[in-house]
Amino acid sequence: MSVETGIVEDLKSKFTDAITDASVQRQARIILTAKSEAVINVASYLKENLGFDFVVSVCGAEMPQEDLFTIIYHFWSSSKKILITLKTKVPKKAPKIQSITPVYESANWHERETHEMWGVKFIKHPDLGGLLLPEGWKDLPPQRKEFKLTG
Amino acid sequence: MSVMRVSWGPQHPASGQMRIILDVDGDMVVNAIPSVGYTHRCIEKLAENRRYYQIVPLVERVCNLDAFNATLGYIQAVEELMGLTIPERAQHIRVMMAEMGRIMSHLYWLAIYGIMPGFLTMIMWPIGDRELFLDLAEMVTGCRVTYPYFMIGGVRADLPAGFAERATKTLNFFENRLKDYERMMYKNKIYEMRAKGIGVLKAADAINLGVVGPNLRGSGIKADTRKDEPYQAYDKFDFEIPTEERGDCDARARVRFREIQQSISIIRQALREMPEGPVQVKAPLRPPAGEVYKKIEASRGEMGFYIISDGSDKPCRLKISSPSFRNLAALPFLGRGVTMADIPVIYFSLDLFALDIDR
Amino acid sequence: MTSLIIGKIRGNRVITKIVNWARLSSLWPVHFTTGCCSPEEMALFMPRYDAERFGVLMVPSSLRQCDFLVVLGLVTNKMAKRLKLVYDQMAEPKYVMAVGACAISGGLFYDSPTVLKGIDQILPVDVYVPGCPPRPEVWIQGIRLLQEKIRKGK
Repeated sequence: MSVETGIVEDLKSKFTDAITDASVQRQARIILTAKSEAVINVASYLKENLGFDFVVSVCGAEMPQEDLFTIIYHFWSSSKKILITLKTKVPKKAPKIQSITPVYESANWHERETHEMWGVKFIKHPDLGGLLLPEGWKDLPPQRKEFKLTG
Repeated sequence: MSVMRVSWGPQHPASGQMRIILDVDGDMVVNAIPSVGYTHRCIEKLAENRRYYQIVPLVERVCNLDAFNATLGYIQAVEELMGLTIPERAQHIRVMMAEMGRIMSHLYWLAIYGIMPGFLTMIMWPIGDRELFLDLAEMVTGCRVTYPYFMIGGVRADLPAGFAERATKTLNFFENRLKDYERMMYKNKIYEMRAKGIGVLKAADAINLGVVGPNLRGSGIKADTRKDEPYQAYDKFDFEIPTEERGDCDARARVRFREIQQSISIIRQALREMPEGPVQVKAPLRPPAGEVYKKIEASRGEMGFYIISDGSDKPCRLKISSPSFRNLAALPFLGRGVTMADIPVIYFSLDLFALDIDR
Repeated sequence: MTSLIIGKIRGNRVITKIVNWARLSSLWPVHFTTGCCSPEEMALFMPRYDAERFGVLMVPSSLRQCDFLVVLGLVTNKMAKRLKLVYDQMAEPKYVMAVGACAISGGLFYDSPTVLKGIDQILPVDVYVPGCPPRPEVWIQGIRLLQEKIRKGK
């Protein structure tokens, strides 16, 4: 697991303040936690310097007893065959974060879905229009825990 | 230039419950904008309201053409979270059924891909031959299309008596049929005119857009989860990952055709080298708290399952990274500057499935 | 005078029987496959089960030529508007068949915020074919039930 440990050490030394937690979960799995304003810089570094060429997904999550949304990015390196899970937190009241679409073009549709399902605003995203929900959806973003299922 | 907006779908025999908004100038397409969400069921939200074993049929219906691979992907993610070791025999059976699922899905794709340029024979033959594999699946699981067979901990029951003989007979017959397919379609001048050189996706663009599966392999990139991150018993099997260099519609079609041939070889190896032993272990109701990301090579591409568990019997979060959603970005890219008649061939060569996109 | 003749023709039992026989023998469906039942639909019209021998021809042409609407699979609220539009465009007499648990009642997605819990909320349904997905044999029985219904003049 020396490659994974090497990547973790590299990121920790480069982003001493921005990355608050970095660990190797198992072989080919690294989990990072970063501050929301630093995500765009970490993403650029992963793409240009460490060879993480694919965005696998961008999604939201809500942990119990927290007044924050967690935004989770998954990056995959086709050369190293390693997956990085990058987590960051944004406040529930006004959830917004810089979009990584200028760096990773393939993040476009994922961020659009996260915006629709969680209500997170991605700044500088080219088009945050509706995607999956019916037109004119006025209710809460459905993936939030406060949106209750009926039936 | 005068541009007219034409809507293809969502109710259309060929659009597959997806709407493609085409901006056309005469016969040339200026823009192809996919509009999705017509089959969105909020499966990820529903999963938070169900126990882990109740989510299996939900996940199956994300991509039910490829039901074995979809359920296997989810189940093995839960098993990793629970720290279960699955018996060897169950793993071999799973690989065999997953490859059978891949053949079934590719045959369905071939049928739809065949009918779009107007090739009626190529919808009848693959769907007819697919029935043979549905019979095999029914022999093992009791069902034709959606299977209550894979479970957390192994498979529900052992293979029935006579399965190996029947499967071998089917594979021998089908391998001969593949020669007919090749002669009828892939070496057909009319098909070549409609698919060669159309919808070219270069390797760099494919990576940039984030496409996966046969679409990526059709552009020359050898990426397949079965070799990159082997799961179940795949590391014990001998098979190749087919790639093509041209990146056009025909290249993607040829990759899928050669994958069918590789799947037949894997099934034969599984039947020959099937180990003895139990087929299931007992799984707990609640996994420990934690998270897992596990991916599988479904027939449309890499399918990932990210589960966050809080230690209860229902997941805190289930995220399904579906291959068609990631491949969707290729459609507006390839649909620009082509004629209207090329759009169906490009669309179906990408093998986009609306249910997979919407979840 | 013309309306008197038409009235006499309509009232004639023999002619009505012949007309009903013609209708039930050539039911052309509108393709409205929304969900996971699509492989079974393909299987129904292809070599092994061959629904064409019952007169059910899958014609990928205009809605206005078709006799019955097969709603196959789940219908979301986003799609429901389009479903109603498709139904309204069809010419009379028209029939509706709800195939699959999701079309009948929402099925597996009973608590989903975006799924319509049964198409009979927006359309009058003639035949229900249960299953998830229904086997082609069950579906053929559904077609026979519809044909029986037409034969009896309902």
